[in-house]
Amino acid sequence: MQNLIRELRAHAGLSQGSLAAEMGVSRQTINAIETGRYTPSLPLAIALARFFSRPVEEVFDADAAQ
Amino acid sequence: MLMRLNRSKWLVPGFAVALGVVFLVAQWVNDQPGNGLVSLAIMVAFAAALVAFSGRSATFEVMRNPKADERSAMLDLRATAFAGLVVITVVVVAVFYELARGHDPSPYSQLGAVAGVAYLLALIVGQRRS
Repeated sequence: MQNLIRELRAHAGLSQGSLAAEMGVSRQTINAIETGRYTPSLPLAIALARFFSRPVEEVFDADAAQ
Repeated sequence: MLMRLNRSKWLVPGFAVALGVVFLVAQWVNDQPGNGLVSLAIMVAFAAALVAFSGRSATFEVMRNPKADERSAMLDLRATAFAGLVVITVVVVAVFYELARGHDPSPYSQLGAVAGVAYLLALIVGQRRS
């Protein structure tokens, strides 16, 4: 699933590791989400969207092909 | 935050060492303490490898702490399901092989039955919980 996590993280000046620590997941999980290899659970997707103060449907594009 | 599932990073290495001790005791009881010590050494080496390489290898990290986060849990679940499928396939093939040779398919038939019952129970419990 396409998403804006990489852009939002870079804009916030965060590393994958620090975002992972904020979310309570591994750095590899953040990397997998950013590259579209892993679709996060609904709670994690909502937590990520809330962290960046964006609507979840704006952060994650369920209609776009990866 | 709330996503991290609580599970000690030492649970799997500790379980591996505990399993090694069980190997040692079982073989010691059978008057084979040497073999038991070899088994224990293998399991301790496996536990040490988990601890040593989990920081450098994502695979070892998942093996060491499969419930570290939701992706690790998913990878662990898929790997466990795949391993189970391989074992069940081997068991079923072994049953047919023993039958074709005119032999009693035990214990493969019992193992297959256990797998089937376990799958059915897991489906029933899973459906009630979700």
